[in-house]
Amino acid sequence: MVWTAQRREHINQPTAKIMPYVRPYRREIIYTTIAVLVAVGINLYLPYLMRLVIDGLTDQALDHAQLYTLLLRYFLFGLTAVVFSRLLRKIPLKLSHKAEYHLRKDIFAHLTRLDASYFHTQRTGDLMTRLSSDINMVRDAIGQGLLQGIRTIVVLVFALIVMLLTDRQLALIVYALYVPMVIIFFLILRVMRRRQKELQEQVSELSNFSQESFSGIRCLKGFALEERRNQQFEGLNQGLIKKNMLMQATRQSLWPFMAFWFGVGMILILNVGGRRIIAGELTLGTLTQFIQYLLYMQWPLLALSWTSSLYQRGVVSWGRVRSMLDAEPKLTDTETPQTEPLPHHDIEFKDVSLEIDDRKLINQLSLTIPTGTTLGITGPTGCGKSLLAALTARLVDPTQGEITLGGVPLQQLPLQTIRKKMGCALQEPILFSKTLEHNLAFGLTQHEPDTLAWATEAAHLTNEIEGFPKGLQTLLGERGVTLSGGQRQRTAIARAIARRPEILILDDVLSAVDTQTEAAIMQKLKPIMDQRTTLFISHRISTLRYADRIIVIENGHITQQGTHQELLTQPGYYAELHLQQNLQQQLEGDA
Amino acid sequence: MKITRQLLTYIRPYRLWLAGAFLLILSTSLAINYLPLIIQRITDDCLMQPDQPVDQRIELLGKLSLLYVVIAGIGHLVRYLQGLLTAYIGQRIIYDLRLAVFRKVLTMHQAYFDRTPVGTLMTRVTSDIERLQNFVTDGVVGTLADLFMLLGIMGYMLYISPPLAGTLFLTLPVLYALLVYINRNLRNANREIRDKQAAQNAYLQESLTGMNTIQLFNREASAIQDFDEKHTQLRTAYFKEVRWFSLSFPTVEGGQALASLLILGMGGILLLNGSEFITLGIFVAFLAYVRDFFRPLSSLSEKASSFQVALASVERVFSLLNRQPDIQNNEHPIIPPQLSGTIEFKNVWFAYDDDNWVIKDLSFKVEPGQALAIVGATGAGKSTIINLIGRFYDIQQGTITIDGINIRDFDQTDLRQRLGYVFQDPFLFAGTISDNIGLHNPDLTTQQIEKAAQTVNAHTFIDQLKNNYNTPLNERGEGLSLGQKQLLVMARTFAQNPELLFVLDEATASIDTATELLIQDALGKLMQNRTSIIIAHRLSTIRHADRILVMRGGELIDSGTHDELIAHHGYYHQLCQLMQHQA
Repeated sequence: MVWTAQRREHINQPTAKIMPYVRPYRREIIYTTIAVLVAVGINLYLPYLMRLVIDGLTDQALDHAQLYTLLLRYFLFGLTAVVFSRLLRKIPLKLSHKAEYHLRKDIFAHLTRLDASYFHTQRTGDLMTRLSSDINMVRDAIGQGLLQGIRTIVVLVFALIVMLLTDRQLALIVYALYVPMVIIFFLILRVMRRRQKELQEQVSELSNFSQESFSGIRCLKGFALEERRNQQFEGLNQGLIKKNMLMQATRQSLWPFMAFWFGVGMILILNVGGRRIIAGELTLGTLTQFIQYLLYMQWPLLALSWTSSLYQRGVVSWGRVRSMLDAEPKLTDTETPQTEPLPHHDIEFKDVSLEIDDRKLINQLSLTIPTGTTLGITGPTGCGKSLLAALTARLVDPTQGEITLGGVPLQQLPLQTIRKKMGCALQEPILFSKTLEHNLAFGLTQHEPDTLAWATEAAHLTNEIEGFPKGLQTLLGERGVTLSGGQRQRTAIARAIARRPEILILDDVLSAVDTQTEAAIMQKLKPIMDQRTTLFISHRISTLRYADRIIVIENGHITQQGTHQELLTQPGYYAELHLQQNLQQQLEGDA
Repeated sequence: MKITRQLLTYIRPYRLWLAGAFLLILSTSLAINYLPLIIQRITDDCLMQPDQPVDQRIELLGKLSLLYVVIAGIGHLVRYLQGLLTAYIGQRIIYDLRLAVFRKVLTMHQAYFDRTPVGTLMTRVTSDIERLQNFVTDGVVGTLADLFMLLGIMGYMLYISPPLAGTLFLTLPVLYALLVYINRNLRNANREIRDKQAAQNAYLQESLTGMNTIQLFNREASAIQDFDEKHTQLRTAYFKEVRWFSLSFPTVEGGQALASLLILGMGGILLLNGSEFITLGIFVAFLAYVRDFFRPLSSLSEKASSFQVALASVERVFSLLNRQPDIQNNEHPIIPPQLSGTIEFKNVWFAYDDDNWVIKDLSFKVEPGQALAIVGATGAGKSTIINLIGRFYDIQQGTITIDGINIRDFDQTDLRQRLGYVFQDPFLFAGTISDNIGLHNPDLTTQQIEKAAQTVNAHTFIDQLKNNYNTPLNERGEGLSLGQKQLLVMARTFAQNPELLFVLDEATASIDTATELLIQDALGKLMQNRTSIIIAHRLSTIRHADRILVMRGGELIDSGTHDELIAHHGYYHQLCQLMQHQA
């Protein structure tokens, strides 16, 4: 819509921080570190046990009992390693889900405080992405980041130390191999990611093309373009194979390359170490121990590259997530709100202007709606009549001028109070996928069956509800009943009046209701409207005539005002509308 | 079973390639798994032979090392090639399938599109096909590769030392069962996450769009509470996933440790007892095998539980491919030369669904070159008439003929090529202006495209654009006004030079008078020398017509020229009055 100009004001200095969501889990992080230390320690110790067995067997210095002791030790340590290996995964991952939960919970609560202008500048789909996949990305960066980060560091540091202590020369060979491997690996991954991105672009091009073909099917068939479209699709499809194979050419090389490199490492160790064994300077056990270390270090290499990309994506996602938390509500209560009960519920607009996106949508408009009267509002589409409703309910503040309720400026009343006094029903009402009762009682704090019965009766809804097998317990939405447009509007009317509000705002709520039902509803609504201050926005003369006074708004100005009878006699929008609707009615009436 | 057979028809063309891939898999398995054997020989023949002369041992060590590097190099290279080949085969199969699905969708009938959301169709062309690809490459070929790898290792193990191998094999069924069990639970947990996530997202979507309503009714606190309920369920599902996920790797690690332990124990005892079955080299070789032994096992267990998901996608894709289009082409279509352009409806009845007749017993005839306008209130069935002539829907009773030929006897594509539609809600394709007029028709020259644009008054604004006819447009035609888009669409229709013309004119408020005049002028030029039917909502458009049909509730209630109809002082008269006031 037209609220985009206000977007800039929502982006403040980034203040939200990620640390408060991780800090409460200091203890878990320490536990993770301990688990990693134990698991890695044991995994470095097991090859040493292997070495003892092999050397014992080579020297024939080992007897059965000693062998069994060593095996038992191997078994016990191996078992412990498995337990800790599970813990080092479970603790940080669970932690990340807890952090994710709190983050999303806070964001949702924050969103309920933001006002209409925020939701108009943001696309719902965009907010949804940030609330789901972006938060998930942040969570993975936290969980996997902690897990793989701690683990990789510990493995690399401890393995180096243990290897240096065991045999310097062999340790240097391992590291001499490892460093270029890491570099080459990163380079391959970089190429792969670039190609992956290109592939992704091709995929989206193909899906855009399909989407366009399917949604434009009418035009496509109208011009008999099927064959040409198929050929274009074939071209895109071929491009997909090409891009995919380019990506595969790098991706498929990763594992064989790494395996080959480690194979070379193994044979180097066997060669260098083997010569020393032949010279009697080294034992076969030590050699085996080193080969085991070499194999053990394969995984951290993979993890290193994976974690770094995870972290990068996590940072980007966090930026998007944070922007939601950083958005500040524009409509807030004053520090000393007026809490005295109001003497009456007159609404007064004093020279009110509303400017959005540099366009003056409401221009110096003044009007008064005395308590207990109904103001009818009409005008061409886009003239700003719905904005009057939004201004009255303080969904948006005027750029100039002032709106008072019961003599008090709206800004000085608590938002909660203003809204408690209002019952709003809008043209395309939002109903929630819960029971009909839940929707009707949406504005009620207590269970009031009598009020609901009264409200549904007034909105001419009782018969239909009785027609549903489950009555008020009927589920609405995708999994339940789909209401017609008219039924939805009448549900919204019932929902608004069930609160027994002091101020009633009905924004074109009968547009989808047929003429006979409309008359019946107006009969029932009239006494309810008479007891309250009512804003009644409509396109239909047949409903406007019930209003005490009617204003016509064109281009943000009031161009005509008066009673139904008065306006009929004036030349202008209202009389023209009346004529048009009469003609239309005649056409329909003859049918 | 039927699904397998159908899938096979897509795989069959590549059977030789696949055979090649299996050959490569086999060679990889043989080569790579031979490597520990070399280690065994190095250990036994070089390192542990103190009786042999040192030079000889070192020489042999060098030779065996070289052999190792060569075999490893070849083995991994073949493995790389096999990976590429498999990926390529998968791509080819998917290429065919994706094309088949896309072609199939385009042959579907308009009513199918009316009830199938575009999103669903998109899922078929994109994610379902992708899953199918994974099913073929990772699933079928991957499983075979894993199996060969496993069998290769087992074969070499048995060859080197049957007792040690036998002991190790005992662990296999237990570990495999354990892994399958864990993976099945993991998959269940994942499904639960998806369900809970969907429920939470549905709630979020609703709350975000309805935030105004929530705030107006002071329901913030209860909305937060409702959200928390769904959110907590999601967290619980995630915890379940973590529980099983954190078991899966450690189980493999445990299996490796157990296997090492068995080798150490079994081998150690055999060695201590001085058995001839085993040497230190065998011992070391087995320790090397253990690492690779469990990799195929764990990947096999993952696949076992992912087959079902893939099958669901395969089923959806095939059920779409097997659908019969509701509107069939005549097997021996009549392809007339140039049409003279007589359109006739004889007692036509039509309903979009069941018995809700939209067209009731309609008969009328348009003579060659004539312009016919159809008027009536909304819902009178006017636009349905032109949809029926293009056979976007088939009528239930009566006949529609063009030049006396039943439209069912035409070839659908040929029929539609002869028709031109102008909608006032213009659909633009992503592409240049020129593409949007020429529609990639190879027979149209640049001059013809410009000529078309000039004729319908579109040239002036196109000429003012930065890249003229090569200006790229996106689907919504951003940067063009509605009037300009309408002129563009008219240029398109003019360039295609249809034999019959249908115009759906809707009263659009947002077009300025100058453009409106251009459009009306263009309309007149389009209709010249062509049989045309105009669905008119404005008096200005009706004026182009030679004859007018007045429709009401699916029935023809009056017809004649404007003056005749006005003289009847009936429904048409009232309609005209209303149109005058709406303008």
